[in-house]
Amino acid sequence: MNVRESVGIALQALRANKLRSTLTLLGVIIGVASVIAVVSLVQGLNQYVTNQLTASGSNVFSIDKYGIVFDNDTFRERGKRRDLSSEDAAAIARSGAHVEAAVAQLTAGATVRRRSRSLQRVTVRGVEPDYMLVNDLPIGHGRPIGEADERGRAAVCVLGAEVAEQMFQSLDPVGGEVRVGSLKMVVVGVGERKGSAFGASQDLYVLVPFSIFEQMYGRNRSVEINVRSRGQESFNQAQDEARAILRAKRHVRPGEPDDFEIVTPDMVLDLWKNLSGAIFIVIIGVSAISLVVGGIVIMNIMLVSVTERTREIGVRKALGARRRDIRTQFLIEAITLSAVGGLIGLALGGFIALVLGLLTPLPVYVSPEAVALGLVSSSLVGIFFGAYPAVRAARQDPIEALRYE
Amino acid sequence: MLIHMRDLHRVYELGAEKVHALAGVDLDIERNEYVAIMGPSGSGKSTLMNIIGCLDTPTRGSYVLKEQEIGTLSDDELARIRNQEIGFVFQTFNLLARADALHNVELPLVYAGIRHEERRRRAREALELVGLGDRMKHRPNELSGGQRQRVAIARALVNKPSIILADEPTGNLDTATGEDIMASFERIWQQGNTVILVTHEADIAKHAHRAVRMRDGRIESDVRTPITTAARP
Ligand SMILES: Nc1ncnc2c1ncn2[C@@H]1O[C@H](COP(=O)(O)OP(=O)(O)O)[C@@H](O)[C@H]1O
Ligand SMILES: [Mg+2]
Repeated sequence: MNVRESVGIALQALRANKLRSTLTLLGVIIGVASVIAVVSLVQGLNQYVTNQLTASGSNVFSIDKYGIVFDNDTFRERGKRRDLSSEDAAAIARSGAHVEAAVAQLTAGATVRRRSRSLQRVTVRGVEPDYMLVNDLPIGHGRPIGEADERGRAAVCVLGAEVAEQMFQSLDPVGGEVRVGSLKMVVVGVGERKGSAFGASQDLYVLVPFSIFEQMYGRNRSVEINVRSRGQESFNQAQDEARAILRAKRHVRPGEPDDFEIVTPDMVLDLWKNLSGAIFIVIIGVSAISLVVGGIVIMNIMLVSVTERTREIGVRKALGARRRDIRTQFLIEAITLSAVGGLIGLALGGFIALVLGLLTPLPVYVSPEAVALGLVSSSLVGIFFGAYPAVRAARQDPIEALRYE
Repeated sequence: MLIHMRDLHRVYELGAEKVHALAGVDLDIERNEYVAIMGPSGSGKSTLMNIIGCLDTPTRGSYVLKEQEIGTLSDDELARIRNQEIGFVFQTFNLLARADALHNVELPLVYAGIRHEERRRRAREALELVGLGDRMKHRPNELSGGQRQRVAIARALVNKPSIILADEPTGNLDTATGEDIMASFERIWQQGNTVILVTHEADIAKHAHRAVRMRDGRIESDVRTPITTAARP
């Protein structure tokens, strides 16, 4: 069959009436554009989240009372568990053969002030001396919180780079004073700048000694324990050790479930992947609907075309076209239509992805998979919705068709 | 024997009513005959032409074309015979409006599965043969009626069929142009082709060497006029 001829006829028809063609292909264009944009965006987000979660090192996990909770009942249930304490963290650090370090931390929000400047809702963390080691948070300037600060309940702090900048501008913060909540503290160091994640700055924090945090906010709170394993290969063993140590310490009987939760970056990543997968499915569903609508429009146009060209079909049959020749011809025309829509959609979707990439910190890029998905889905629309008109065309009786006015 | 028909029937069923468009036709046509099929409107001429051209199959009876029984063939086999053995010329030309003369003439070769360059060459040849060598890139609406019918004739000839079938080929043309077209058929016949044409005009029919008259789906008379030696090459 003459593919070039069929493609040519379809393109000619498209060119002949640009407005009608655009409207005809709108469904396919929107469908493919949204497929491309969404796939690119989700891939970009996945990349971004993976980068963020593994930034502090993939061999760090945390333990707390709640873990990842989605419903109120579970939250309330877990709230009744015994609190975790800095002694628990110390026990893990002491007895875990595969544990490099384990620290307890507590978190609160506070306003940070210096002279007339103030910054609200800054995360204040009460941290133990190994905190920066465990969480791979290097000091940019000055020194970290040390053993002596902890023991002496020193009113000292390490500022996040953003807090330091807001409070001190171009001045050197180290040695300066800030007010955290109601307490005056001496700045001993500034954390290295981390930039922003999920649209929020990661440099808006104040680290204070764990002991002074307890003094500021009270003692009876459950801590979050951060544990770093000795290496990637001992990550699972370190978890097992931490679990065993805590169960023994908290008298959990064999066979009973843990009364604490271990959260690893992989779990958070999985959670994210489930979530983004759900978003993905919803939006792909919407794209699919517009592809189907686009397909129905193409089917309609093709049916009109088959009727208009009944006589042409009769002539072709008289000259020796078999059913399959006619079928192929109309199918190629339908596929050409939807593929043109697909290409326009591809360009549009790629453009949207590009703009998203420029406007957000997400590493959005149009992947070959997204392009393939867009083109394959639009071609499938052509094949699926072109099939019925093509079969109708092929079935025409040659004599009836030749007599058609 | 090129065409051999015995007791051929074609019955159309319109609801309960049955129309016997052909009611027992016996007809033999030899290679290189020039036959005119005549008769009043509704006598079954077009029905007979459609069956000869394998666009339609008989309800009953036998039609043997080149030793092959047509009645039992599948759609695809009929298409192949139309492609290889039959060249149609229609009253209304039936050219593809969007395609130029060259492409129109190429079409039978497309369905014959012939390669592009070969198609082009043969289509050009056929157009030159009907005197349209300078009109190849013209579309039908840029051609006169006579030129259009010549394009159609070139298209009918291009795949070297066994039979040229023309149903009222001059019906849409003025007398002078009609004579022109008839001269083309004369030439085609002289080159050894078999020509069968339907007409109700005696002037046109006299170009042929055999006149088959139909009435009510039957052959009423079948008269051969001796071929003058002058007509043969
Ligand atoms: N598709 C059809 N359905 C029903 N009747 C038909 C059909 N085609 C032709 N006929 C009838 O068959 C008879 C012969 O028609 P046709 O072969 O077209 O005659 P002619 O070409 O000699 O005018 C007519 O009575 C016509 O009405
Ligand atoms: Mg007729």
